[in-house]
Amino acid sequence: MSDAVVVEQLEKTFPGGVRAVDGVSFAVREGEAFGFLGPNGAGKTTTVSLLTTLLRPTGGRALVDGIDVVADPGTVRRRIGLVFQESTAEDELTGRENLEISAALYGVSRSDAQKRIRDLLERMQLVEAAGRLVKTYSGGMRRRLELAAGILHRPKVLFLDEPTLGLDPQGRAGLWEYVREIRKESGTTIFVTTHYLDEADQLCDRVAIIDHGKIVAAGTPAELKEKIGGDVVTLVPTDGTADLTPVLARVPGVLQVQKQDGGYRLKCLRGESVVPAAVEACFTAHIAVASVALKKPSLDEVFLEFTGRAFREDEGPSATDTALRMNQFRQRKR
Amino acid sequence: MTYRSLFALIRRELLIWVRSPTGIISSLIFPMMYLALFGQALNLGKLLNVAGPPSAALARAAFLGAPDYFSYFSVGMVGFVALTASLFLGAQLIFDKRLGYVKRTIVAPIPRMSIFGGRLIAGAIRPLFLGGVVFGLALIFAHVSGLSGLTVNGHLTILGVGEIIVALLLVSLSFTAIFLAVGFLLESPQSYFGIVNILNLPLLFTSNAMYPQTIMPGWLQTVSMYNPVSMAVNVMRENLFAPGFYPHPAEFYLGELALYAFGIGILTFIIARRGLSAR
Repeated sequence: MSDAVVVEQLEKTFPGGVRAVDGVSFAVREGEAFGFLGPNGAGKTTTVSLLTTLLRPTGGRALVDGIDVVADPGTVRRRIGLVFQESTAEDELTGRENLEISAALYGVSRSDAQKRIRDLLERMQLVEAAGRLVKTYSGGMRRRLELAAGILHRPKVLFLDEPTLGLDPQGRAGLWEYVREIRKESGTTIFVTTHYLDEADQLCDRVAIIDHGKIVAAGTPAELKEKIGGDVVTLVPTDGTADLTPVLARVPGVLQVQKQDGGYRLKCLRGESVVPAAVEACFTAHIAVASVALKKPSLDEVFLEFTGRAFREDEGPSATDTALRMNQFRQRKR
Repeated sequence: MTYRSLFALIRRELLIWVRSPTGIISSLIFPMMYLALFGQALNLGKLLNVAGPPSAALARAAFLGAPDYFSYFSVGMVGFVALTASLFLGAQLIFDKRLGYVKRTIVAPIPRMSIFGGRLIAGAIRPLFLGGVVFGLALIFAHVSGLSGLTVNGHLTILGVGEIIVALLLVSLSFTAIFLAVGFLLESPQSYFGIVNILNLPLLFTSNAMYPQTIMPGWLQTVSMYNPVSMAVNVMRENLFAPGFYPHPAEFYLGELALYAFGIGILTFIIARRGLSAR
């Protein structure tokens, strides 16, 4: 399988001296869903801008679908689709008009465009809204329209920059469903930036975590979690008098047993097989079990492990704030 | 394909314009006020009345072929529309840059030229319509009692109509280009409006839109000669009013205007290309 995106030692230093992307290297395989994770200001959007020819790198190299983004930006533009953080659909045009203009900009023939627009409107559940001005759309509808505009010309690589920003949980889940469907049908490579770890965990085959312009960890979500030491099973017996530590330590897969608050905390690999085995071991030792819980480490913990900081949004202006400001700005404009 | 993307962008601009009546009204409101209030009150022709009504010949001499001041003035306002209609285009561009609409076109596989060209052409088409409204209104005023209006006393030919339209198109093109260039260079609407306010009135006052060049002091006459509004208005007046009052034929001013628009176009294209290229 070839690589859809290849990035080698990519650098971007802005005129003010801010080094937003600092020697980043990674590759995205064809057909893969690749997550680019990091807090606000980590360099996610800058990286996307470099890959989509909006910015020029100050060092390193980037290939998209085998084409160098600096040497031949025109060809790169033809082969990529892009859904921006902010809404770029024109408010004063209808959903259909927006898509028609996109089709013309990407050289989709008139007859193809008609058919694809019809299909996409249907798939994105925008058929009824197609004739309405975009300014009457909800946030979720706008995102769906942007997604439709992004895939209208059947790009090889679809870039999604914080696509669910500002959406409610339902809207987010819905949008991911559409993205999954697009992927299943067209096999499009998907490059998505997000600061929602749970989303990356569910959608992406592989993720890279970026912080201060550098990649601090990369791999499948499962690999990354494994790196920080696997699962945690918490077991609480009904009667806390006997010491169960030796019994539990013998259970296959358990790495470490800690006694805590009348219960036991087992660090282990493959927690789902440890749970029944631990319960059975207690049963054999004639100890009744009051409760048992399995906790899989989340990417939040992965982030904490690799950056030494909790994954929070308290650094600099949050992207959500920016989105809100943009909305106010848009309303003021009217 | 190139033309298709250009047409798509022109269509976008014009659709947005048609759908925002406030925009149309705001670019008409200034010329309207000048036409309905200012031009009615400041009737320089009345000053000739001191010793009884002036002869037609005297009026023509004072207003370079026009039968009366208002006729002279209202044609100036048609030229002024080119300015007022393009004033806000740069602000629109700044808003579009901020909201990401411009990014969407930059990332599309289209020539950078059409991103600029779409806005430029759409911007130049608008004043044709607005100028038509001002011209029509001035003609109607002539038949409303209590109002001064526009009287055409020249031999208007088909060619003359063509020249008038081209002149309006060229002057609109150059102003649209200037204001788009300012929009490409600036990031904040506040500083844009600051610059526009600085440019707006001087461009009007240093033109011959409101008063004949012949009554200006020498230095202002020189400035006025190089004002594109003056060039466009000269073309219009020469075609609409009695002939023989201008040192050059209408075609001369049209040529001057074309050269001017071409120069401005090249300059702003260079600026726009800088603004649109990846940094």
